[in-house]
Amino acid sequence: VIGTMARNTYRYCRVGFVVILLVGSNPARGVGQSVTVDVVGDAVRIRPAGFRFIEGTALERLRDGRSLQVDFELAVLADPDGPVVSERRQSFNLSYDLWEERFSVSLIGTSSRAISHLVSADAEAWCLDQLMLPVAALGRLGRDEPFWIRLAYRFHDTEPAPDPDDDGPFTLRSLIDMLSRRAPDDEPGDSLDAGPFHLPN
Amino acid sequence: MQRGFCHGLLGLLVAVAVHLALSFPVAHAQGTDALDGAIIQSAEVSGLAVDQLSPDLRDDIDALVGAPLHRERVDVLATRIEAEHPEFVVAVRPIALPDGESRVIFLVARISDDRDLVSNINARYTVESVEISGVPDTDVSRALREDLQGLVGERLDPDEAERLDDRLEAELPGRDVRRRIARGSRSGQIHVVFEVGEARGAAWIDFAPSRSMWVYHSELAWSGTLDLPMGTRNHRLTVGLVVDDKEELIEEYTGYRVRLESRKVVTERVGLSLEFADLRPSWQRSTLSALGTNPGIGEIYQNRRTVEPAVTFAFSPQLRVRGGASVTELESLFQPQDLQIAGTVVASIGFDQTWNRELGSTHDVHASYEVRTSTTALDSDLDYTRQLGEARYQFQSGRNLVMARVSFGRIGGAAPLFERFSLGNASTLRGWSKFDVAPAGGNRMVYQSLEYRHRQLAFFFDAGSVWDQGTDAQVRLSTGVGFHSDNFFLTVGLPLNADGVDAQFMTGVSW
Repeated sequence: VIGTMARNTYRYCRVGFVVILLVGSNPARGVGQSVTVDVVGDAVRIRPAGFRFIEGTALERLRDGRSLQVDFELAVLADPDGPVVSERRQSFNLSYDLWEERFSVSLIGTSSRAISHLVSADAEAWCLDQLMLPVAALGRLGRDEPFWIRLAYRFHDTEPAPDPDDDGPFTLRSLIDMLSRRAPDDEPGDSLDAGPFHLPN
Repeated sequence: MQRGFCHGLLGLLVAVAVHLALSFPVAHAQGTDALDGAIIQSAEVSGLAVDQLSPDLRDDIDALVGAPLHRERVDVLATRIEAEHPEFVVAVRPIALPDGESRVIFLVARISDDRDLVSNINARYTVESVEISGVPDTDVSRALREDLQGLVGERLDPDEAERLDDRLEAELPGRDVRRRIARGSRSGQIHVVFEVGEARGAAWIDFAPSRSMWVYHSELAWSGTLDLPMGTRNHRLTVGLVVDDKEELIEEYTGYRVRLESRKVVTERVGLSLEFADLRPSWQRSTLSALGTNPGIGEIYQNRRTVEPAVTFAFSPQLRVRGGASVTELESLFQPQDLQIAGTVVASIGFDQTWNRELGSTHDVHASYEVRTSTTALDSDLDYTRQLGEARYQFQSGRNLVMARVSFGRIGGAAPLFERFSLGNASTLRGWSKFDVAPAGGNRMVYQSLEYRHRQLAFFFDAGSVWDQGTDAQVRLSTGVGFHSDNFFLTVGLPLNADGVDAQFMTGVSW
């Protein structure tokens, strides 16, 4: 019995060592974002701190004078995994004024609203402001019931992006891509889940 | 209603006026525009009520009257109007009057009233020059080159630019055209570049997936494989190093592989591959023991060298068939001079599809079937046929992921040990060890797995059986939890119908 215990102890220590070694070499992800929810008039507005989407590849494409469509979906959930109580989808067209060095955003759909001369943070905030949900849509949740939100977006480019696999100069990124066979970042997008929230009184 | 109609009509007229003003080519405008220095007789704002401007801005516009015209000063005021009303754009028209005087009009238009501006705010600027990069000018027809140059001097028309883009792609098959806009040399002017590059999109034939992994299994210990691919978009050479791989087969093997692949031979529908592997197996005691009690299963060997050429034909980017040969030379463990040849013809069909119908959710389906059958035409000493079918489905919605997988295998005849099926490693029948399930593998196999992941946390249920024809198939069940982050995983699997409860730990990275 002692021999078995010793063997098992050794085995679990060995496993533990391996886990520590591998986890240690793998940086943690998913740093939490703070989201504020408030009521403006008869609508619920969300403001995720540090939620940026005009960056990276999308920003590069905009700075190339191209326009991008970004689709947003905001869902209010009764618990972290659903069901969906209310949701709102909205698409926007983004472009970057090359001479003014400011962003322009327009709503896609029935409403014809457009705005320009915005820095990226203001353009992002303007998009989120258009995603407000009517308080009445949350009615069946109950005033004191907690709720969760899911915010997702995805970019669409009307023009093809340069092929990352294309024969080009050897770079560190191409080496990493080649070794990891990472999928090309064609349509960047992201989502965030947050909660629980309560409607402010 | 009548008032609404009037407002609508007024708005339309202003929009048309501004469009005309913005569209007015620079070359034409030079004849009627006032020159710098002309005394400004009046300054007006059209399309926006003046009382909607700040008092300071109104004063500065009024202060233009009587002063000599300076284009930069007027442009600054236009920018200030736009800054105060970001939903508008402003065009300035300095009109020459008799006696060296001028009249300045700020034409204000709502962005949402102009389709081109909604599409791209840079449509307000005049095209200064157009360039085609990536191909010699002679590759493009004269008519198209002239039409491209026709953009110069006009306001950027995104629709027309798109049409020219399409015509350029039509004239250059197999190439993609990417349009880029940059500032011109003068304020308010832009430079349009049509960049021509290699065509992209879904490849009709994929390269073989990487086998790189470094995995620890509490019963099987370490396994390591490193694939080093190098090459270009369509051609690749992969050198693979294998160290004590116990994951894939019932043999533990070390060695190297070299794989040469081309996924575009004349056309993107045809691909070629050639793989050479030189591997040195070693055997677990339990496997030797099982072979000892049933010598008919197969003979153990100490060296295994394989050459496998294949041709792939793709009917579409989703559906392809593959045909080829595989010749393996097996060096007997006990009599090294004795070589056995396993020569087979290989045929397979594969289907892959991804659906992305809703925002934030994707469906992935993969299905494949492969048959290998030995033939004397390849000097095979072993007579067998091996079939393997597999289907996988994956559904992802937000942070939730469901994966289902089924596979089956069947061997008829006397197959070499490396062809026999096994279950019970870090990716199949998790919670079991393959050397407990079937230490010498089996010639029949069925397996299914269901896994649910929420963020990095995974729950799974596996069931499967490996057995030999004529013996009872015992179905093994297991369940467990896992943690997945990027390429890293940590899994604890628990056999459900074992004699004792002995959890298996599996962890590692694969990429």
